[in-house]
Amino acid sequence: MSALIQLKNVKKTYRRGKESITIFDGLNLTIEQGDFVAIMGPSGSGKTTLLNLLGGTDRSDSGEINFDGERIDGYNEGQLAGWRARSVGFIFQFYNLMPVLNAAQNVELPLMLTKLSAGKRRANVETALKIVGLWDRAKHKPKELSGGQQQRVAIARAIVSDPKFLLCDEPTGDLDRNTANDILGTLQQLNQDLGKTIVMVTHDPEAARFAKRTLHLDKGVFAEVTQ
Amino acid sequence: MSLLNQTGSVIAMNVRSIPQRLWMSLATVGSIALVVAVLLGFLALANGFNQTLKGSGAPDVAIALRDGSAAELNSTISREQIDLLGQGPGVRAGPDGRPLISAELVLIVDGIKKSTATKANMPLRGIGPNGLLVRPQAKISQGRMFTPGSNEIVVGAGLLREFSGFELGKTLRFGAQTWKVVGVFEAPGTVFESELWADAPVIQSLFKRGSTFQTARVGLTSPAAMPAFVKYVKDEQRLQLKAQSEQTYFADQAERSGLLIKYFGWPLGIIMAIGALAGALNTMYASVSSRAAEIATLRVIGFSGFSAFVGTMVEALVLSALGALVGVAICAMGFNGLSASTLGAGFTQVAFRLQVGPDIITQAVTLALTIGLIGGIFPGLRASRQRPLLALAA
Amino acid sequence: MTDFDLVWKNLFRKPLRTILLTVSIFMAFLIFGILTSLNVALDRASESGSASNRLVVSNKINFTQSMPYAYINRVAAIPGVTAVTYQNWFGAYYQDQRTSRFVGFAVDPETYMAIFRDEARLTDAERQAFLTERNGVIVGKSLADRYGWKVGQTIPISSNIYSQANGRRSWDMKISGIFTGAKPTDPTTAIYFHYDYMNETITFNRDQVGTITVVTASPDQNDQVAKAIDANFANSPAETSTVDEKTFSRAFLKQAGDLNFIVTMVVSAAFAAILMIVSTTLVSAMRERTKEIGVMKTLGFSSPRVLRMVLGEAVLLSSLGAVLGLGTSAFILTGLSKSPVGSNFGDLSMSPVVALTGLALAVSLGLVTGAIPALSALRMSIIEALNRG
Repeated sequence: MSALIQLKNVKKTYRRGKESITIFDGLNLTIEQGDFVAIMGPSGSGKTTLLNLLGGTDRSDSGEINFDGERIDGYNEGQLAGWRARSVGFIFQFYNLMPVLNAAQNVELPLMLTKLSAGKRRANVETALKIVGLWDRAKHKPKELSGGQQQRVAIARAIVSDPKFLLCDEPTGDLDRNTANDILGTLQQLNQDLGKTIVMVTHDPEAARFAKRTLHLDKGVFAEVTQ
Repeated sequence: MSLLNQTGSVIAMNVRSIPQRLWMSLATVGSIALVVAVLLGFLALANGFNQTLKGSGAPDVAIALRDGSAAELNSTISREQIDLLGQGPGVRAGPDGRPLISAELVLIVDGIKKSTATKANMPLRGIGPNGLLVRPQAKISQGRMFTPGSNEIVVGAGLLREFSGFELGKTLRFGAQTWKVVGVFEAPGTVFESELWADAPVIQSLFKRGSTFQTARVGLTSPAAMPAFVKYVKDEQRLQLKAQSEQTYFADQAERSGLLIKYFGWPLGIIMAIGALAGALNTMYASVSSRAAEIATLRVIGFSGFSAFVGTMVEALVLSALGALVGVAICAMGFNGLSASTLGAGFTQVAFRLQVGPDIITQAVTLALTIGLIGGIFPGLRASRQRPLLALAA
Repeated sequence: MTDFDLVWKNLFRKPLRTILLTVSIFMAFLIFGILTSLNVALDRASESGSASNRLVVSNKINFTQSMPYAYINRVAAIPGVTAVTYQNWFGAYYQDQRTSRFVGFAVDPETYMAIFRDEARLTDAERQAFLTERNGVIVGKSLADRYGWKVGQTIPISSNIYSQANGRRSWDMKISGIFTGAKPTDPTTAIYFHYDYMNETITFNRDQVGTITVVTASPDQNDQVAKAIDANFANSPAETSTVDEKTFSRAFLKQAGDLNFIVTMVVSAAFAAILMIVSTTLVSAMRERTKEIGVMKTLGFSSPRVLRMVLGEAVLLSSLGAVLGLGTSAFILTGLSKSPVGSNFGDLSMSPVVALTGLALAVSLGLVTGAIPALSALRMSIIEALNRG
């Protein structure tokens, strides 16, 4: 399997006024295609920054960030936006669905960044919602759905434009145990059956067990724990 | 805690929370201020014009016109009729022992209106030697009165403010004659200030009016003598004139002219008020929703729905009261006393000043508070219906 | 779903709020539509029927002073003058002086109808009748409708200036015809009758004329002819002042006051008010959506695209209110123009210029009120927006 994501010697420092905090001082990371990685660590470990770097929503100070042969560390904001639209599916802790849109319309959002026809879009939305088992709720607004259902809509949104990898930020942080397991099961399915590469940041060791491997991040440095 | 205390505390909390929604609250204050300013501006225009007309009439001066003429320009009175008038009951004697009558005629001449730089109709009035005496409010403030028999003119101070071309010392040309401005007279708050005065006989001869006049102003011994004099003029067959108290004459004019500005000002004010009300409702609904958690907690503690209602109402009223204050201040400082002029009933320009008075301020402030009241009721009801909850769903 | 769909749905996120804002915007544009149209109508009223090669001669002192009848032939003899007619203001009213006054002029029918053929349209039969009937009068259609007058009917027209030798204030006149204006919306609230009929019976001011209308060979001769006329009567007891028709009407209408100024002030106040209300509400509304904007950007929506959507929402909001407000004012104006007072102003309907200006204002309002939220959406960093920084 080829390396999908590769971070080489990535450095990142935050400056706030006179203070500067170094998060990463030469971070390396390789994630193969088809991998399902959980990243754990205490607060302040840099996992949020890593998340943002992987998702292209933040830029490193130096080092290489390779994604499927494409170097994104030099991209400007506009290029990163385009790259994100093509390559990443996001799943957030608090779902972040748009309250004014129904489930199908929420799922359709990433497709507005493509040139697909209306018919094609509808087909993709249907497929995505069926995968997460919520096609019968397509017309419901987020406030009419439970937490677990909202997260599944969010997953459908994340996979609708068939991105290469999914980036999850505490996807089960707001759910009860049973619902959480459902969601994680769905993620596993996406990884095993559809071959999606998944990177999941979590603080929950139970959630990390669903992944293929877990990386521990502490003070900007990795320690791997294989399961 | 008693209801009164509760309500008082909630009101205080509401008002103190205003800075949290600073900009929207400021917008409410500002828009209400503008509504008040616009309405008050129009009312001050109407008020000033009205006051000038009403203030012009003296209760002990009777004005006589040809029976059936509504305006001076359309009236004619002969020398003989003037003498007959002098024989009426209650007519005061002038300093020369003869009846105190000023026989007058008005002509329209051109002036340039300063604000629009276009031509405007100015009244040139020929007055008799008693002209000033029948107008107690008027007196010469600069220069001197014209010499009888000469081509001299005195100009009203109001006219000078609004129109160019009649300054003291200036030589004017009406028709083929030149005239000289030798004095300025003041008659503040009256229409007389918008006139040019000259000697009646000179006007008659130069403008070929023979020996006819248009109006006669008759000084009476007291206001009580008015009804008898009016009756005398009515009954006297040789006269064919109509006499009325100067006060009534001008009051009639005031009523007819003020209406136009009022029909304009109030509708405009109300339309703007509705717009501001929508804004106020918005602000207050935002206030209630942004403080939903706070209100819910208060309700848990035991505060009544009523206190929440009153708190919101008072917040709205405070904002509208502030707006009213600012609006009135703008008007009082910016508009009050501002000079204006418009076409009066006699087809000539009347110069007046905008007047902001207590009763029109009350009207405008009432409108502002009404906005506050309505703007507070509905959001207030919503606040009072907020259920007591320990935590609100996101 | 298109960007527009998204913008539309976001606009009605809190329906009550959007409705209230639309009400405010509606009111401002209602005021704008009506006041500006009134102003334009007044301006236009001064120009209605003005031909570019017509001049008005009046007494230099003031147009309410008259000139000797003999002036007419002297004016006709001035080089460059191709036609002459004259008018005398009558102070006309019908029955009640207070409520039924209207424009009434004593004219010379033949020359008047020749020069004002377009502005007072009559059938040939009516024209002939007016010429031959000494007590004939032609009345405007609006007046005829208002009082139910018919051709052939004899009506008493009173004057608040003149009276007859026998003491009567009214003259019996026979309606020779009912005229319409050049455009259907031109005011037709006037009457015209024979000068001779009036002149022979009034008790004073005989053989005088109020104003003289002159037709010049061409507009570029206007200045020259005007000067020649005034020079002719300089230093005489009744000096003249000659200006082109448009200037004459405009000066007359401006007497009431500086309507331009008042309209500008009021409209500005109304717009200032809604500017405050809408911009502050939009800023506050956008703040609720910080996270959503962050999500949109995370998904890959470019910052410019997000900016366009936020601005688009503001422009859509103001356009909604504007279209409703302008439409309603157009409706009200049509109603006004049918009323007795309004018919004096002629064409009160909303002109395309006013409508287009209104729409342009709406777009500008949207851009200005949306500027702050749009810019903050543009510059928002995803990390701050998602609040996990």
